[in-house]
Amino acid sequence: MKTVRKTALLVLGSAWTLLATNGQVTPISLETAKEQGRVKSRFLKETREVARATDIIPKANVAFFRKSVGPILIKSCQACHGPEKSKGKLRIDQLNPDLLHGPDVERWRAVFNALSKSEMPPEDEPAYALADEDRGRVVDWLTEELNAASLLRRNNREHSSFRRLTNYEYNYALQDLLGLPYLLANKLPPETVSEDGFKNSSELLQMSAMQFETYREIGLNALKRATVSGERPPAVTYILSMQEEMAKLMPKNDTKESGTNKKNKKKPKNQQQLFHRETGETLQFSGGKLLPRTELMAGQTPDISPVVLLLPRSSELKLDLDRFLPDEGILHVRIRAGRSTMNPDEYAGLRLIFSAHTSNNANFSQVISERDIPVTATADNPEFIHFDIPLSDIQRNPFRKLTTTFPRRDEFLHIQNVSNSIGGEEPLQVLIDYIEISAPYYEQWPPKTHTDIFFASDHKGDEQVYGRQVLNRFLRRVWRRPVNTEELEQFMGLFAKYRPGFSTFEQAMVEVLATALATPEFLYLTQRVTINETKSPARISDLEFASRLSMFLWSSIPDDELLKPAAQGKLSEPEVLTSQIKRMLADPRSKRFSQNFVEQWLGLDRMNSVTHVTDRALREAMLEEPIAFFDQALRHNLSIMDFIHSDYAIVNERLAAHYQIPQVYGPHFRKVPIAHSTNRGGLLTSAAIMTMNSDGKDSHPLKRGVWMLKRILDDPPPPPPPNVPEVDLTNPEILKMTVKERIADHRNKPACVSCHSKIDPWGIAFENYDALGAFRTRIQNKPVDATSDLFNRQTLDGIDGLKRYLLTDRQDQFARAMVHKLAAYALGRPLSFADRADIDRLTAQFRRQDDCLGDLINLIVSSNIFIAK
Amino acid sequence: MNNKSLMTNRRNFLRGSGVALALPWFETFAARNFDGGETPKRFVSIYHPDGVGLPLKSDPAWKDWSWFPRGGEKDFELTKVLNVLEPLRSDITIYSGLSHPAARRVHGHSNADQYLTGASIGGEGAYQNSISLDQVYAGLAGDRTRHSSLVLSTNGGVGGPRGAQTQSFNLEGRPIPAMNKPKQIFDLLFVTSGKNARERLARSKSALDLLIDNSRSLGRQLSKHDQETLKQYLDSVRDTELKLAKAQQWIDTPIPQVDTRNLHLDAEPKEARLYFQTMYELIYLAFLSDSTRVATFQLGRENGEGPHDLLSLAVGLGGAHGLTHAIKSPDGWKNLGTYNRYQAEEFGRFVQRLKDTPEPTGKGNMLDNTFAMHGSASSSFHLSRNYPIISAGGQNLGFRNGRYLKFGKGNEDNQAGAGIDTDAGWSSEMELEELPLAKFFITVLQRLGVESDSFGGQTGTLPRV
Repeated sequence: MKTVRKTALLVLGSAWTLLATNGQVTPISLETAKEQGRVKSRFLKETREVARATDIIPKANVAFFRKSVGPILIKSCQACHGPEKSKGKLRIDQLNPDLLHGPDVERWRAVFNALSKSEMPPEDEPAYALADEDRGRVVDWLTEELNAASLLRRNNREHSSFRRLTNYEYNYALQDLLGLPYLLANKLPPETVSEDGFKNSSELLQMSAMQFETYREIGLNALKRATVSGERPPAVTYILSMQEEMAKLMPKNDTKESGTNKKNKKKPKNQQQLFHRETGETLQFSGGKLLPRTELMAGQTPDISPVVLLLPRSSELKLDLDRFLPDEGILHVRIRAGRSTMNPDEYAGLRLIFSAHTSNNANFSQVISERDIPVTATADNPEFIHFDIPLSDIQRNPFRKLTTTFPRRDEFLHIQNVSNSIGGEEPLQVLIDYIEISAPYYEQWPPKTHTDIFFASDHKGDEQVYGRQVLNRFLRRVWRRPVNTEELEQFMGLFAKYRPGFSTFEQAMVEVLATALATPEFLYLTQRVTINETKSPARISDLEFASRLSMFLWSSIPDDELLKPAAQGKLSEPEVLTSQIKRMLADPRSKRFSQNFVEQWLGLDRMNSVTHVTDRALREAMLEEPIAFFDQALRHNLSIMDFIHSDYAIVNERLAAHYQIPQVYGPHFRKVPIAHSTNRGGLLTSAAIMTMNSDGKDSHPLKRGVWMLKRILDDPPPPPPPNVPEVDLTNPEILKMTVKERIADHRNKPACVSCHSKIDPWGIAFENYDALGAFRTRIQNKPVDATSDLFNRQTLDGIDGLKRYLLTDRQDQFARAMVHKLAAYALGRPLSFADRADIDRLTAQFRRQDDCLGDLINLIVSSNIFIAK
Repeated sequence: MNNKSLMTNRRNFLRGSGVALALPWFETFAARNFDGGETPKRFVSIYHPDGVGLPLKSDPAWKDWSWFPRGGEKDFELTKVLNVLEPLRSDITIYSGLSHPAARRVHGHSNADQYLTGASIGGEGAYQNSISLDQVYAGLAGDRTRHSSLVLSTNGGVGGPRGAQTQSFNLEGRPIPAMNKPKQIFDLLFVTSGKNARERLARSKSALDLLIDNSRSLGRQLSKHDQETLKQYLDSVRDTELKLAKAQQWIDTPIPQVDTRNLHLDAEPKEARLYFQTMYELIYLAFLSDSTRVATFQLGRENGEGPHDLLSLAVGLGGAHGLTHAIKSPDGWKNLGTYNRYQAEEFGRFVQRLKDTPEPTGKGNMLDNTFAMHGSASSSFHLSRNYPIISAGGQNLGFRNGRYLKFGKGNEDNQAGAGIDTDAGWSSEMELEELPLAKFFITVLQRLGVESDSFGGQTGTLPRV
């Protein structure tokens, strides 16, 4: 049956299968599909440039409709969408052909979508089949008319990019402004997500009194963290030298039998202990209690000691720091460490955990290091690795200041070896000879965060002059624009009111600066109206452009290097702009773009409510993969068709193990070539996406289908109607069915069929992936059946079939969806019909440049739509 | 009943504090400050650690010392543990079969933290809590009074993760420090000077003025559409101004003068009765003066030495936590029951006090407008199920009392987990059905006027309440 249909399709002219010599149908390779699909692009065929924005007032081409388009539609559509039957409540004979001024644009858009995707007329109605030539004629006419209608509406776009910063943008902005690398804004209520999945959508970014008060509180607290007063506070310092420990613990009368072991010169394998690398002596050691050292300062670099602590895979050194760590400031941990063996496939990293056990069953432990830090040095030349942990941000033992000893007051620091060590005769271990723990830690005094605000000046003695200097510099960065005298005076007025209530200039000024952090120009992205707005569409200023650009690529405010050309009015010069984009993408801050865009585009938030991934390393790897994949394409300017399918994967060891890709070691993500048999490649089958679109136990084809349509194809299905009957799981007949069979059963109910036939096939194609995204060939002892027919009779045969179909027939749709999603994110507003022409034009340019992601960023930023209000 | 000593103590206590001071002051102060004559709706929750006594039916102690009543919704019979509440029978409701699902297999000692929040805090590892019931209500009622809520415990502070010494957690799930010294609580309510607050307010006011000016001048440079967006910001600043004006009003309103001569503000937990009653009396006074409408009070921490252990001295018994472990010793059940009875007795005294005081607005008595809860997050030994809960009052909020409400299925006689004294009990599989306590909390919130249909991960209310 299947073979027959595929052959038939081939005869019909579809180029996606080849007849092999033995008469069997062999599908074309995905690479071939990519090439063949590209040739079909509508965007590439358009020879002339899509009409430019301003010049001519577009006119409706009704004459052509009357002559050529109307008759085709009557012939092929009217039987079902006419006076006799009006399926989908569409009367093709009653649509107003003037798209520019008539009321039927939305309906025409639906017609365009159905025809251009070959969803209509239905394949099982041969009497009404539409010849390719006729279809082309209708689609071309509609393309032009929709485009003209969109241009006409562009000047009254209903959505504005004037918006509040999102929580994460506000957080990054504060971090970048004040030079504080910590999470500062964790108290704000969560953002509402737009229909496109974005959190930065202008009309959903609300403000409330509570939120406003939280901004004031966060701003003031952040400033208080950035600034200091008085003398440098003394640090509490703990030092652990393994040599000293061994000397201390070694039995006094030096009888080797009692405790140490000299006979075995070989390194002990899997025990955490002290080891003398020269004498071979070993000694049990499990950490214990440390007391602050007053005689020694932090920052020592003692000679490398022959005595080391051996830390095998997964074991940890637990240090009791008693109750002396301060409440605030940075906990600075320096560990000098090396590796016992240097096999490049083996990895070892250090992780910090903080815990307390205040009484029975009242305990906590928490990983406090943001990421594991790899140990790379050799055993002979160990190197320091260090961690900086803000003490006020971690869970502390609240009883540490008790004067009594119960509940227990101690706090513990654990140093853990996170490793993939294989074991064997020479297992990889971490060798540590020296540890230093101190807090509060300051690289310099006063810290740079302080001197960035209260900088050196000849006028420090004159509060009036110096106050203006401080304010001028601070406000300029907060507002991303030069500040005028009137504004300065306003803030100096506030300073004058505050000054008597505080003992120092700085304390009063911090309160004034906190007020600046609550101004709308910090919290919002502005676009001012200029007096003579003649250009159409109206443009934002260069300074506003700088902010829009940095929000796009850095999720934060611009730096001085970006503000400078903007203030000179040079930022929109192509060369300046291109070099700024290049610089910004090379900056580590651009990682935020990959992360925030991908999380929102793909809806990765949904992983937060997933409870069936219990392996922490796997969960983290799952979340990272799509971001790393996108980031790779961005930095190497790869084709976005790689998101559909690629002959490589971006994985780390944990994820590679999950995907059964051999020979990948270590926790970092990297590009590895993969065989077709791994059934991976591209983003669609990422474990995260399969996992979050499951029901916790099994795959969930409906969720997967909806996800495909919404996120990848930008063709969201309508919401389900009310009173949808639930699948009856108490019915034993239904219980026996596979998921796919249940769906088919549900879909065949008349109320459901029309929508589900558009959704389900996309999800069923993923049936080979289970609830964790692992590949499978059997479900409950039945072979996996991942084939189904799309609405337009297109068969999707498993994931390969789905990818092949997308690459052969849906490249335009995917490319346009990608442009649409990126543009909506870049602009921070929903796109509407008025943006259609701009998006089409961008898509055409993008496709001509071989669909490369890096180019797309440049195209969007240089486009009219990005600089328009 | 051990009436004699109780009465003497009570008389001593009330002479100076409660009744004597309440009358004159209540007429002058209270009448002036009630928010436009609106009758306040109040919420208070009392938490006691370590659960209650739950002997097996086969145990001779079952008849007298099993905490839960026997019988049906209306015709229930109180055992010796709770019959001290018999005089208030028509003002109270007793519940069984309720618990927070996430805690059902976590050791009871870890669970005081989640009693009012329903959060899944687990038994080890990283810790995250969520907002507590009282604070949700304080979010609504908090700015009508000088203090948005009163958070008390015998041990004070926040305690440690899974070892809370406070019942209240804010919107971010962070613990709100509890006060435990009567003097300090009294000062906060009736003595605090407003100097710092006054300065802070003045500063905020100047800042808001500047922000309004600043955003107006920005507004003039925006399109019509964008001005609408900015208006939300301006409205938020104005709402904040209004809030400040209210706070200013509180600062300007004189603090009620109270005769402290005989208030036992130095009472410590080892003077168990005096301390206990003083704490309850302070809640009562805070409510009466409408200084707050929300209060929580935790009697000590789960499992541990500390002040709460001394409360059992009031009935001549040693360490309170030890009582739960000693149930198999001679008189073990009786001793634990006696201590639980004492807790109920003090709760009853507080309830009676509210009932005896007419509502200042004239709408019934204070109890009618107060929903008071008393409970623990474990029933039997370390077992985080079938929480023993009593509520009182709230008639004007829609609560009907005089009932014993059994929820869930399969444990009608409260024998599941009865008599256990090993860890195998608390960690056992749950074989019967209990209902989520959070659903009861949603009912409570709705009756207090909070428009919400979800709490602690649950949606919907509890039937029959």
